[in-house]
This record gives sequence, structure tokens and C-alpha cells, in this order.
Amino acid sequence: MSSFSELKARLLKPTPLLIILLIAAVAVARLLNLTTLDTMTIFMYFIAIAASLNLIMGFTGYVSFGHCVFLGIGAYIYALMVYYVPWANALQKTGGLGIIAVALIAAVIAALVAAAVGLAVLRLRGAFFAIATIGLDFAVLYIVMGTVPFINPEQFYGAQVILPSRCLVSKTSTFTAMFITMALVLATNYLVRKSRFGMGLVAINEDEDAAEVMGVPTAKYKTLAFTLSAFFTALAGAVFYLNGGGVSPEAFDLAHTVDMIVMIVIGGLGTVSGPIVGGIVYYWLYDTLLVHYPGVNLIILGIIVGLIILFAPEGVVGILRRYEFKGVKLREVLE
Amino acid sequence: MPEAILTVENVTKRFGGLVALNKVNIDVYDGEILGLIGPNGAGKTTLFNVISGVYKPEGGKVYFEGVEITGKPAHQITRMGIARTHQIVKPFNDMTVLENTMIGVLFGRLAGKVSMSEAREKAMKVLELVGLDGKASELASKLTLHEKRILELARALAAEPKLLLLDEVLAGLNPKEIEESLKIIKETKEAKQLTVIMVEHVMHAVMNIADRIVVLHYGEKIAEGKPVEVANDIKVVEAYLGDRDLALKFVKVK
Repeated sequence: MSSFSELKARLLKPTPLLIILLIAAVAVARLLNLTTLDTMTIFMYFIAIAASLNLIMGFTGYVSFGHCVFLGIGAYIYALMVYYVPWANALQKTGGLGIIAVALIAAVIAALVAAAVGLAVLRLRGAFFAIATIGLDFAVLYIVMGTVPFINPEQFYGAQVILPSRCLVSKTSTFTAMFITMALVLATNYLVRKSRFGMGLVAINEDEDAAEVMGVPTAKYKTLAFTLSAFFTALAGAVFYLNGGGVSPEAFDLAHTVDMIVMIVIGGLGTVSGPIVGGIVYYWLYDTLLVHYPGVNLIILGIIVGLIILFAPEGVVGILRRYEFKGVKLREVLE
Repeated sequence: MPEAILTVENVTKRFGGLVALNKVNIDVYDGEILGLIGPNGAGKTTLFNVISGVYKPEGGKVYFEGVEITGKPAHQITRMGIARTHQIVKPFNDMTVLENTMIGVLFGRLAGKVSMSEAREKAMKVLELVGLDGKASELASKLTLHEKRILELARALAAEPKLLLLDEVLAGLNPKEIEESLKIIKETKEAKQLTVIMVEHVMHAVMNIADRIVVLHYGEKIAEGKPVEVANDIKVVEAYLGDRDLALKFVKVK
């Protein structure tokens, strides 16, 4: 009993509550058919990639600008697997969990790439790290453009892997898979934030040298955070491009990283609820502007984002955390 | 003579052409407070950086409790039981005082052996010991310099070290704050049975509190001994103290 009330007390805090509410809201919207499956899948994808990048950029402060490379790696490996490996195709046809099972393989490969690269690249600090990740993105992009067309010159023209109908799955399945992905990455964010590992990451963000001297294994922790982040980014990428019916070199476009960064900054860097709030706000802005101001929508979005970064760089959650509510310091309860 | 807990053997550290430490030999005995003094640029902080693993020396070895630790990563050395403070305070500004101290517990000698809630309790106890418990939920950025120095000390103590390296914890403090800090250092040293090396420019303080003094000058050890011996040493007077009578007066305050 006591463990149940303990669990209840733990879950009734703002951050877990927000995660649960979000998951419930998506479930209700799905059951009541409030909007199209595609809309919901894309919305969840936005939150999932923001929360994925948050694991490295939010917690440690390392800006992984080429992070979209893991979207691309996840999406390409997934697409090629279901195209060429009969059991992978059969597995993804079983539904959402089947898709996740195949996507996990793609995510593990992306994570291995991240671990190998991270060991070398995370010695670099600040802008140099960001540039190194952009280099990684371009390197992988050119490898893809130089190899994929030769695997099957007739099908993969311009390195595009357009999935034939035998490899496609229902929108319901991709919805379920994205739902699981989003829930997993949000839960991971929360658990990391609450753990010793998370404390170490935040210490690295604050002062890396001091953290190392205080006993935080900085090199190991940064690599681990980068690897975890790549893993979930690839998972989300695999499901997202499957939902779109295929992948092209566009997946490596740095604009995807910009999307992720903008969402976390709007929400609040390094917080768990930040990517959720940022994802909702950004998606809503993006969608509204696209509908009402087509053509100039991205210009307006850019101006809004610029204003936010100028005047509220801490983001929504970061600002809320400064205040007290009914005698409770919000920074103690709002992660 | 008790056993040496730390042995610095022939340590040499160069920065380009500058020899910051030149074949320095120091034994630190279990339970003592060793004062490390010398003019600016003498190599005191560099020696701390070598001991705590921030720098790898070009020559020589460092042994802690009989185990060689030369060139080990800093975080491993901390876990073995050497903690330090920084001359220029390095608090995690966006964390509370308690969270700052918890990092010390979670990644110190008990790394991996304490839960988050145990770490919280232990950190709170350390804060009580140094008298910073009233500020536990304040952000570290809101503290005064004196409090930030105490927080550095608290974070180091939270690691449950056997050897504590204090790098100018008294610099920039007023006489009352120095008095308070010295009391805290003495008390915690007794309570935790620590061995302490302190780098200090506040002469009357270090002459008072240290059992032995080592003097560095241009990267070389020029004197070693009891405070009164060191204050009488002509080389030390020339290099650093300037006035022997004044130095002796500091010792006699004891």
C-alpha cells in the first residue's frame, strides 16, 4: 500500500502529470477521431525529436547541430531493411509493436555510430562540437548519396528510397509506433532528470571542469547522453519516414535540427516538460501560420522564434521555474 | 612519524618553456594540516592540479595511500578519496546549494553506493556541519563570495575524502569571515579525520592552523618544516615573507 501511495505522490507532480496528460490527450483524440491520424503522428514526432535532442543539448548544453543525421540513419536503415529483408517486412506488418521492433534495430545502429563518433567528438567544446556534428551529417549524407543509388539504380533514383506498396503499413500502425516512441523518450527524459546520471549531466552543463574534479566521469556521461539521444532520434526518424512512405536525402537537412532546437528553446532547455510545451507551441504556430499565411508562414515563424530567443531565452518552463506558486518554489516541482 | 598518505615524488610540470614544478618532493602525513605557501606563480595551484588529476606531469609520480595515481583521470582520483576546492569558485550556479552538495556525495568516494534520497540526507548533514543548511534551497548564484567558498568546501567534504586540498579558501574574505572559515576547517578536519593541504596567502591564518609548512618558489621546494622553522628560514623570508619578525609574530599568535 505504502509503495502505491508513494507512487501516487510521485506521479502527482507537475512534470509526470504533464507527460500523462499528453499521452491521455493523444489517446482520447485518437479514440474520438478528433483529427486525422497523420496530424497526430506528426505532432507526436515533433515532441519526440525535441525530447530526444534534449537528452544531449538540454541536459549537457552540447549543441548537436548535425543531429538530423540520426533521423536520416534511422530512416534509411529502416527503409532498406523492410525493402530487402522479408522477415523485417513481415514483422512491421504485425502493427505498431512490430514497427517498433524493426525500428529498434535501426536505432541501435544509429546509437553505435553516435557512441563511436561521440568518443572522439565530445572532446570538443562549444562551437567546435556543433561544427563536428554538422561534418558528421554531411559525411553520412554523401555516403548515402554515393551508395544508395547503386544498390538498386532503377528504384533508388537520387538516393530516394520510396517504399513500394508491399512494404507499406497502415496509418494506424505508424500512429501506434510513434505513440510508443514519444512515450518512451519522454519517460527516459524524466528518469534521466531524476537520476544520478542526470545530475551529472546538468553538472557538466554548469561547469564541466568542476564536474570532472568532483568525480563526474564527464567523457563517459557525455558519450552516453549523446548515444541515448541518437537512439531515440533514429527511432522517431524511422517511424516518421515510414509514415511518409519513404525517405530521401532531405532527411539530412539541417532544418530538421533547427526545428528540434527551436522547440526545446521555446519550451525550456534542459527541462523535461520543455520539449512537450515547445513541441505543442511550435506545432501549433507552424500549422496555424501555414493555413492562414501560406507563402510567408516561415518568415513569420522565423521572426517569432527570433523574438523568443531574444527576450525569453529560458523558454516557457524556464521562466515558470523562477516563480513561486502558493508558497511552493516551482523550480522544485517543475522539471 | 605517522605514515605518509600522499607522496609527491620528483614531480615536474612544464607549460611550454615554463617549468611550473621542478622535481618537487613532498610527503603528506596522515591526519596533518600541511600549509603550502609561496609567491604567486610558485606552482602551488599547479601542484594541486597534478595531485587531483587535472594535469598530467611530465615527470615524477604521485602516490596516494601507496597506490600510484599519476595521470589518472580527475574523477577517479576524487573517488579514491582526494577532494579539492578551487581558488576561483566554481559553483553550479543554476543548481541549489543542496543540489551542488549532492553532486559531491553522488560522485565522491561513495559513488554508486548511495541512493538519491540518501545523498540528499548526507548532503544536508554536510551543509549543517559547515553552517550553510539555512541556504540549502537557494540557488548557488545567489550566495555571497564567502558563502560560495564555504559551498566549495561543502562540495569537497560531501565526497567524503581522506585528503582535502584547499586552494585559497580564505582569499578575499574579511577578518571575521576568515575566523569563521578557520573554525569550520578545524572542526570538520577533526570530525572527519581528514588530512588537509592548504594553499594560502593569508599568512597569520596558515601559520596558525598548519602543522607543517612547505614553501614553493619558482616551481621548487625551498623550505619545509614547522611554521616557526619556516618563518625563520632566510630563504623563505627573502623569497616570500619579506619580514622575519612579522612572520614570527604570526606564529606566536598561536
